[in-house]
Amino acid sequence: MPIEVVFFIEVLAGGLLAGVMYALVALGFVLIYKASGVFNFAQGAMVFFAALTFVSLVERGWNFWLALVVTLAVMVVLGLATERVVLRPLVNQAQITLFMATIGLTFVLEGLSQLIWGSQPHGLELGIADVPMDWLSQQWNINISQFDLFAAFIAGALVAVLAVFFQKTRIGRALRAVADDHQAALAVGIPLQHIWAIVWAVAGFVALVAGLMWGVRNGVQFALTFVALKALPVLLIGGFESIPGAIIGGLIIGATEKLAEVYVGPYFGGGIESWFAYVVALLFLLVRPEGLFGEKHIDRV
Amino acid sequence: MALETLDTFPKLLVHHALVRGDRPAIREKDLGIWQTWTWHEFAEEVRALAYGLAEQGLKRGDHMALVGANRPRLYAGIAAAQCLGAIPVPLYQDAVAAEMAFPIRNAEVAHALAEDQEQVDKLLEILPGCPTLKHIYYDDPRGLRNYNQAQLMSYERLRDIGRERHRRDPGFVREEVAKGSEHDTAALFFTSGTTGVPKGVVLTYRNLIERSKVVADWEGITDRDVVLAFMPPAWIGQNIFSYAQPLVAGYCICCPESAETVANDMREIGPTYYFAPPAVFEALLTQVSVRMDDASAPKRALYRYFMDLARRVGERIMEGKPVSLGQRLRYWLGNLLVYGPLRNVLGMSRVRIAYTGGEAIGPDLFVFYRSIGVNLKQLYGSTETSVFVCIQPNDKVKPDTVGPAVAGVELKFTPERELLIRSPGLFKEYYKNVEATLQAKDRDGWFHTGDAGYIDADGHLKIIDRAKDVGKLADGTLFAPKYLENKLKFFPYIKEAVCFGHRREKVCAFVNIEMQAMGNWAEKRNIPYSGYTDLAARDEVYELVRECVERVNADLAQEAEIANSQIHRFLILHKELDADDEELTRTRKVRRGFIAEKYAPLVGALYDGSDTVHVEAQVRYEDGRTGTYSADLKIRDAKTFPPAAAKQAA
Amino acid sequence: MILSVENVSLAFGGVKALREVSFDVKEHEIRAIIGPNGAGKSSMLNVLNGVYHPQQGTIRFQQKTFKDMDPHEAAALGIARTFQNIALFKGMTVLDNIMTGRNLKMHCGFLHQALWAGPARREELKHRRTVEEIIDFLEIQHIRRTPVGRLPYGLQKRVELARALAAEPKVLLLDEPMAGMNLEEKQDMCRFVLDVNDQFGTTIVLIEHDMGVVMDISDRVVVLDYGKKIADGTPDEVRNDQKVIDAYLGVTH
Repeated sequence: MPIEVVFFIEVLAGGLLAGVMYALVALGFVLIYKASGVFNFAQGAMVFFAALTFVSLVERGWNFWLALVVTLAVMVVLGLATERVVLRPLVNQAQITLFMATIGLTFVLEGLSQLIWGSQPHGLELGIADVPMDWLSQQWNINISQFDLFAAFIAGALVAVLAVFFQKTRIGRALRAVADDHQAALAVGIPLQHIWAIVWAVAGFVALVAGLMWGVRNGVQFALTFVALKALPVLLIGGFESIPGAIIGGLIIGATEKLAEVYVGPYFGGGIESWFAYVVALLFLLVRPEGLFGEKHIDRV
Repeated sequence: MALETLDTFPKLLVHHALVRGDRPAIREKDLGIWQTWTWHEFAEEVRALAYGLAEQGLKRGDHMALVGANRPRLYAGIAAAQCLGAIPVPLYQDAVAAEMAFPIRNAEVAHALAEDQEQVDKLLEILPGCPTLKHIYYDDPRGLRNYNQAQLMSYERLRDIGRERHRRDPGFVREEVAKGSEHDTAALFFTSGTTGVPKGVVLTYRNLIERSKVVADWEGITDRDVVLAFMPPAWIGQNIFSYAQPLVAGYCICCPESAETVANDMREIGPTYYFAPPAVFEALLTQVSVRMDDASAPKRALYRYFMDLARRVGERIMEGKPVSLGQRLRYWLGNLLVYGPLRNVLGMSRVRIAYTGGEAIGPDLFVFYRSIGVNLKQLYGSTETSVFVCIQPNDKVKPDTVGPAVAGVELKFTPERELLIRSPGLFKEYYKNVEATLQAKDRDGWFHTGDAGYIDADGHLKIIDRAKDVGKLADGTLFAPKYLENKLKFFPYIKEAVCFGHRREKVCAFVNIEMQAMGNWAEKRNIPYSGYTDLAARDEVYELVRECVERVNADLAQEAEIANSQIHRFLILHKELDADDEELTRTRKVRRGFIAEKYAPLVGALYDGSDTVHVEAQVRYEDGRTGTYSADLKIRDAKTFPPAAAKQAA
Repeated sequence: MILSVENVSLAFGGVKALREVSFDVKEHEIRAIIGPNGAGKSSMLNVLNGVYHPQQGTIRFQQKTFKDMDPHEAAALGIARTFQNIALFKGMTVLDNIMTGRNLKMHCGFLHQALWAGPARREELKHRRTVEEIIDFLEIQHIRRTPVGRLPYGLQKRVELARALAAEPKVLLLDEPMAGMNLEEKQDMCRFVLDVNDQFGTTIVLIEHDMGVVMDISDRVVVLDYGKKIADGTPDEVRNDQKVIDAYLGVTH
């Protein structure tokens, strides 16, 4: 294969795989937004908190699986607590109020994690090396990271599970019902608090998965909270309420920003990766304000 | 049992239960799921039911009425009656109670199977006038819990009685089935008829089985075919495809969940063999057009482009005629982007053979379906001929004929151009109506169809109109009102038309607008309206209809024989013609004579040159109340074309 | 008596919505609460399913007395309701909407559902069947997969009735089921209400602003005016009651 083609494939694949990682974070936002209409600003902090807790436990000599289970438990409890302490008292408040509350929660979480675990960066290993796949590089001379593929697989599995959960189960249906109309949900006997608690717990779980993947990639450090910012353009493209949207949005962002960095970047003197995603998202906003998979809200007259 | 002669439907049913017992015989969507009865299960159900009916006193030669939509149990009822040598009489489920009384009295019906409360109510209503009716079985018990009439019995109860009798008396039904022969009466179908009382058409097993078999063989219909039954089972056009032919060919029929879900059920089932009157094809196309009108601009452009292409080459490709490679490629792309999805929406993705008949079909409509790859063909026939008289062959389909005669059929014409038919499918007689039988079937066995037409150069039959409706204008030239009306109805905005002109110097017409298409058109233009009557009176609507009429006139001017039939004046009726008001038959054919009489002042105004005419009418609201409607209807002139100038105008 | 209301008074700030209202509902009857606008009908219904808590008086449901019931609890006890201005999940399909009505009847745990395990799937199918029977009953098969927001008003009302029925309630509260409907839709709705009452034996309490149709289908009628009960009896008794006539004449339609 010509070297240009190989290079293009590498860049594209790298971009798509990075996109999967964005999608993982975006997923957390979508879950909570769908069920409670709250834009959870603290999702990034939750990702950071999850990764830091896990890595600190492992560094203290805990067994890998035990650390994983305990971290998961911590994240679920954190989710439940957030619902109980922060959101429940604010029921029926304006959306902006809830949004502000989640900003507050961000600072609390960031402070809390550094208070407990300290502020120095950690490396994270999951036993899958971040090295090119032998088979691909020998056969086609294409270098694609083994870990990236692993992360993509995990993300795919997670999405599949969530999709079935949302579409096919009672609780999933109840989640969608609550997202659609709180009052109506109450009237058919769906307990709002219960549902919210579940959503926050699930969001905690998703944050853990995202935290682990990103932790391996970038190291577990404070900057992890900023991956949340990368999820924003993903959400703008995919729509705030759609799980498939989060995936497709993530892939689009990942691929375009990598391709842009390599093929367009040089004309700008490089470094466009950090802001190109927002440009793409803005363009999308102009064409399809509700996002690719977003629900068009048509108010009946 | 002796099965060497499969000459009755019960024998055929037993045969299928033996040779393809596990293949599906009939499906029904119930509670959201397609429930399947295999031939074996269906035969068992029929047997139990036959025992039940025997226990209740149904015997050879008796008549049994069946009223309801397409349901496995209705068809089981038909077969069960036939097992005992009794004669099923399917009745239209949308008939009002009074219309049911005649067939029940005429055939001295003692047993009736009704689908639900609605049908039971109607039967109970006519009970005092129908002393022979002793047993009413019902399928769906909903709402019937508090009915305690002695005549009522549930389908389940009947079947249980039957199972009980079967245990006591095994072999009885088998013997009864064996007694049947091909010359026995298979069923009695009542035709609504445009005038007079209904006539019961007596069809023998031989009539129905022979015709079904000839056509199934000719078309290659097998037990792998699938049919969706959605027209009234009392109509021979439904019954032959959902009862007679499946029993001959062994294919599976599917019953939709409800009348409203037909389109969806059709998509799910994907029938391979399809029959519907032109009105259904028209309604489907109207839906497509309306949806395309609402689609985004790029989609509309794509649709227009590819439909244009399809009109030019679609039919040729289907018939295997030479088409340039470029066009073939573009059609292939169109199939991917437009025709395929369109066929899928229509539920016609798997249709191998589709028929239409019973009425003339508009050439545009007809060509539309063929051009997107649906093998739609016309057939000609009636209840009296066991349907199949003429069918268009696959490779030779013309929009304005009904094809050559099917094997076994002889055709000839009277000097008045009335079509006469001789065929193995010809009915035995009209039940208890010797006079009508003699009128319709002459001594040599020719059936007088009452249709006027001729055989064209390719040997295809072309029907112009009903023989009695073909009239003459005052100047002696041919006047074929239905031909004109059909031409008008081919426009999506016109639902019905009634043309007058016999023994008059010019042709004038009543028009009914098509509410859905016209309503959409009006909304697009911000024309406010409150209902049919209001919309029909709008000047803009009149203008649109005038354009349609003038296009028909331009067309007519090109055909020398009927150029004088151009429509000079028209009005849009203030109400929709309705079968409940006897203006249409149950199969939605206009009753021209009745309408001319009922609206005599309106007809008069068309011819006396006035611009408006006052109407005062009793209108029946949907809740049954009546009120008076009074207004001035407008009358408009339409441009006509001299035969010579027509070419330039069109 | 399946349900009785004893001396219920309800006030919002200084406004008295209900004043010492008492009436009862017999098992299997269709009980109407009518009255002019602002008579307190909706407040009464909201008290019955626990949205409002009366300052005074009690609700007895199946021999048990309740004072502060919340809507979720009422639903669990077998009181289902519909709303005057339709509270359906507009973005979800008709089928999903009705399935939410089964929520209280489904018990499979979170873990089973998260894994979409056998028991959860079987439970789902079992309930789907019940829901399909209701769909069949209310003749809405053709819109099963349509998002509710796209349906015309009359059909939305029917879907809401279906969702309430899905809970297999003992008492069904209908808040102006015929409001905003044309005559044909009203007749359809009447037929369905009667059929539900007949077929499932559901006790029905409905409130209506309009005297018309309700009188034909109700067994007994309570009339409220300015939060007070002014009449209670069969439709005929109520129709000829002078106080009722006065109350209605005082209102312009």
